[in-house]
Amino acid sequence: MTATPEPSAPPLLRLVEVGKSYAGVPALTDVSLDAPAGVVHALLGENGAGKSTLMAVASGTTQPDGGHIEVAGETMAALTPALATRLGIAIVHQHPAVLPDLTVEENIRLALPPGRIAGPGGAKAWMLGLLRRVGARLRLGDRVDELGVADKQLLEVAKAVALEPRVLILDEPTAPLGADQVRVLFDQVRQAAERGTAVIYITHRLAEVREIADQVTVLRDGRVQGSGPVAGFSDEDLLRMIVGRGVASAFPPKNAGGADGPVALQVSGCGGTGFHDVALTAHHGEIVGLAGIVGNGQSAFLRALAGLGTRSGEVRLDGVALSGRAPADRIAYMPADRHAEGLMGAMSVRENAAVAALPGLARHGVVARERERAAVEAEVGNLAVRTRSIESNVMSLSGGNQQKVVMARALLAAPRLLLADEPTQGVDVGARAEIYRILRDVASGGVPVVVASSDAKELEGLCDRVLVFSRGAVVEELTGDAVTEEAITAAAVGANVHRRAEDERRVRPWLPGLRRFAVGDYAPSVILALVILTLGAYTYGQNTRYLAAFNITSVLTLLAALAFISMGQTVVIMTGGIDLSVGPLAGLLVVVASFFVNDGSSGVMMLGALALTLLTALAVGGLNGALVRYGGFTAVAATLTLYIALQGISLLLRPFQGGYINSDVSALVTAQVGPVPIAFLVAVAIAAGLELRLRFTGWGRRLRAVGSDEQAAHRLGVRVNRTYILAYVTCSGLTFLGAVMLMAQIGVGDPVQGVGYTLSSITAVVLGGASLLGGRGSFAGTLLGAALIQQILNATTFLNLSQTWQYFFQGALILVAAAAYTQARRRSRVS
Amino acid sequence: MGSSVDQDSAVDVTDADVTDRPARPGPGRARPSRGLLTIVVATGLLFLVSLALQPESLSRSSFLGMLPFAAVLAVIAVGQTLVVQQGGIDLSVPGMISISVVVATHEPNGDNAKLPAAILLAYGIALAAGLLIGFLVSRLGMSPIVTTLGANALLYAGVLGISGGTPRNTTSVLHDIATGTFLSLPHAVYFAVLITAAVGFVIKQSVIGRRFEAVGANAAAARATGLAVRRHQLAAYVWASLLYCTAGILLAGIVTAPSAFQGETYLLPSVAAVVLGGTSLLGGKGSPVASALAALFLSQLDQFVLTLGVNAAVKNLVEAAALALGVAVYTVNWRRLRDWVRPAAPQASPS
Repeated sequence: MTATPEPSAPPLLRLVEVGKSYAGVPALTDVSLDAPAGVVHALLGENGAGKSTLMAVASGTTQPDGGHIEVAGETMAALTPALATRLGIAIVHQHPAVLPDLTVEENIRLALPPGRIAGPGGAKAWMLGLLRRVGARLRLGDRVDELGVADKQLLEVAKAVALEPRVLILDEPTAPLGADQVRVLFDQVRQAAERGTAVIYITHRLAEVREIADQVTVLRDGRVQGSGPVAGFSDEDLLRMIVGRGVASAFPPKNAGGADGPVALQVSGCGGTGFHDVALTAHHGEIVGLAGIVGNGQSAFLRALAGLGTRSGEVRLDGVALSGRAPADRIAYMPADRHAEGLMGAMSVRENAAVAALPGLARHGVVARERERAAVEAEVGNLAVRTRSIESNVMSLSGGNQQKVVMARALLAAPRLLLADEPTQGVDVGARAEIYRILRDVASGGVPVVVASSDAKELEGLCDRVLVFSRGAVVEELTGDAVTEEAITAAAVGANVHRRAEDERRVRPWLPGLRRFAVGDYAPSVILALVILTLGAYTYGQNTRYLAAFNITSVLTLLAALAFISMGQTVVIMTGGIDLSVGPLAGLLVVVASFFVNDGSSGVMMLGALALTLLTALAVGGLNGALVRYGGFTAVAATLTLYIALQGISLLLRPFQGGYINSDVSALVTAQVGPVPIAFLVAVAIAAGLELRLRFTGWGRRLRAVGSDEQAAHRLGVRVNRTYILAYVTCSGLTFLGAVMLMAQIGVGDPVQGVGYTLSSITAVVLGGASLLGGRGSFAGTLLGAALIQQILNATTFLNLSQTWQYFFQGALILVAAAAYTQARRRSRVS
Repeated sequence: MGSSVDQDSAVDVTDADVTDRPARPGPGRARPSRGLLTIVVATGLLFLVSLALQPESLSRSSFLGMLPFAAVLAVIAVGQTLVVQQGGIDLSVPGMISISVVVATHEPNGDNAKLPAAILLAYGIALAAGLLIGFLVSRLGMSPIVTTLGANALLYAGVLGISGGTPRNTTSVLHDIATGTFLSLPHAVYFAVLITAAVGFVIKQSVIGRRFEAVGANAAAARATGLAVRRHQLAAYVWASLLYCTAGILLAGIVTAPSAFQGETYLLPSVAAVVLGGTSLLGGKGSPVASALAALFLSQLDQFVLTLGVNAAVKNLVEAAALALGVAVYTVNWRRLRDWVRPAAPQASPS
């Protein structure tokens, strides 16, 4: 299985007596681990055993308090993520750092140094080979957003494998994978080991340790429980080391009545995304636990019970069948991710706690302040929430107390069923015991409680009945005295169930080619082109002067200005921002130019003036970017401020129209080849250039990366602030080009011209298919969007339609287009 | 703009020892929002400065001339607040105002008897537009900016379709309703005060309003709690549209010969008023009362600059500065900045 390392060679990675404490609580104590070349070393342990902390130390993300790290025999003073990467340490994260709006190819290119992607047959062949090696049946052009969890994980593996690291760390890589994919992944791991890579393999599953690893180290409570060749341990030995023999005194006594109480909750044949065929019976007075390794369907099932997400099968609460989301006072759900789904951040403890119970605290729909305060004070006192007052901001509380606030919200609503997902995650030991007590009190009061937890010890101490999940199915049901940590862990790690085939590959309802096109970046462009051609043909049919040279020239000249400004807007919208100041900026630049670029001005002066306007534009872009990134302004707030200020400056400089633009300059700007203005050709060339850069250069990938997922982009080493600010500056630069066109078109300094370009440019970008959420869009689409806007304005006059129709078409188009694009994207998303 | 989250939490977290105490029983009174305090002080200061430097700007005639327009802007700002509280921004303000003005003047064409029908029609249009926008945003998940931008164009089409672009005079009854005085204040002011008070009361005191704020603060958490997220989002756009319509009808009465695109100038000030009132553009808690006061602030600022006799453009610059300051008050971590400037400064007790 392994290449025998030369006995004299030092381990590639060596952690020596590493210690790490958080706020005085030790997470790691004297942990040593060797990763020699060619050896697969499994790291085994429960959640919270310290595995993740240890790997954060090994990859340079976390600095240890004690001990040291040796890489290839050399002691590292301080390891940083960048240094770790340079030394050849690669990590496959449990949650892949992939960018949803980018394609598979772009994700690979963004993650790897450019020199790495090369081979016989070219870069594409190399990348395809890479994907084949890790068993990913993906096309390079597939958008990552449309991939299932498994494929995303394989992409993450591929990126790490491609780096050909000296040390490869895999953090529970098989959790979302199907049987075939696991086999291919293991082949890769073995091959890497044969090439001499040191592999550290983190897992919960004993079977995997047996199959893949040479060495094993077991962690519990931040200490090494045992280490050595896998063959030297029996499964029982490993289990004992994982679980330990702790005394759990923190738990309240269990339900005395056992399963004698009446049935409260009856679930049968329940299935949904991530779980299937779940049956569950909960009696009054019981706490039911859902066990399993994180991501094996227990949380998804709990969410489905709460009415979040779709499910099949039957759920009966006290004999009444439930469908959809039950109202707040029937079922209370405590989410695992407190910050995303639990707390209303800007609000007080009182507001958070009372929100579900408000109808009961109100008279004729008006909240009775004193009753509300009394109820919240009482519940907060009962749960011993530590807060300065109930008016304190909920975010100022510790994790445990925040969880108690979520709990207070649930209990104040007096629900008939309480669902809690990882109720003690991120909660300190003292608060845990209180939370257990409260859950038991609730159950004793006759409200069934269902708790999902990845902590088997917790479930043993708390629950009367436990369902163990593995890969979406219930593999074991334990009741009464059989609810032990060993039994739960054995069922969870020992299960050899594989995900069902439907879960592995998502159903593809359409023809793959057509489908891929419809959700791609260029579908809007093709649709727009067809609309433009149809409208053009119809208008020409009604009025042949429509295609007269004069009209073509005039439309394309007008289009050039809008096209430049809209392309600038596209750059900013690609980052998820918006620039409202482009219109007034274009106006201001014309006003500035109207002082210098006049008939009789010297050439030097005019060039200087152009330079001045360009600098003004770039400064405005920089200011927008700085306000957004460093001032904490939203894009709307920052650019709205600039919008008003720039308009003010224009009015200050030129309260009235004045300053005629040099006619030679105007002639130059509006010069044409045949009927086609050169400026239009320049706009098309720039659109093409930007489009190519967007798809094929680092600039384009980084731009879309920050708009797609700022956090992931940051983890991949993208300089986020710089990318954002550069986007605003680029936008202003393109607005400058638009302003040059306006100079010639308007011909005079006018403080109010140009303002309308803000909304027109946003319209063009949206028509072109860009998402205001960031991450996707195309310059070709924007150019066509601008063309359609200009065409509508023009064609309506040839069709003898009033201005009413111009507005109507514009409004209807933007709504229809946005609705269609939004729907297409929603359908394509798998979650 | 993290609204007041960053500020409040920064204050609370630094007093680590305090948070260790159990909740103190007894009166921990809910304080008025930071935004409301800020705008009350700022408006007060502005009136003092106006009185000191430019008493003309507070003369009876200019004050009474300013008030009806401040009232209209206040009603619009209250509507915009509702949309912003749901994390949106409403670009359909110009279209909604304009079409209400046009319907209220064109249909009756000076005939008082036709006024009630016209007003009903205006509210009908507003209701339809609000439902359309709300549906597209809450059900289809469309971006509020794009949706309201498109709706605005449709409303403009309606404006032109009805009016042909030519203004008509307002009816005498509508003029009296909007500009007649009671206790020497124009009626429009009473409308604005009543509407602001009503919306402020519903948002801050009622079950619906409290849940409305919770949905805006964190829609995912609201959903997990079992609240009807989409219904609250839809309601924001419907009520905003009805408020714009009310403002438009008032405006039709105030301006004797309103133009077809009378609403065009109200978009930016409405957003500015919301931001100055301390409502975060990210959504969540908001204060309609503060937004309405900010509308008064902006209107008086206009009046002040106007009577100063300087270039009207100065108004824009002052507005922009006020806006930048208004946002920075909430987003910049002033405590950290102060500690950075004066490291030895003793920690003041949080106020």
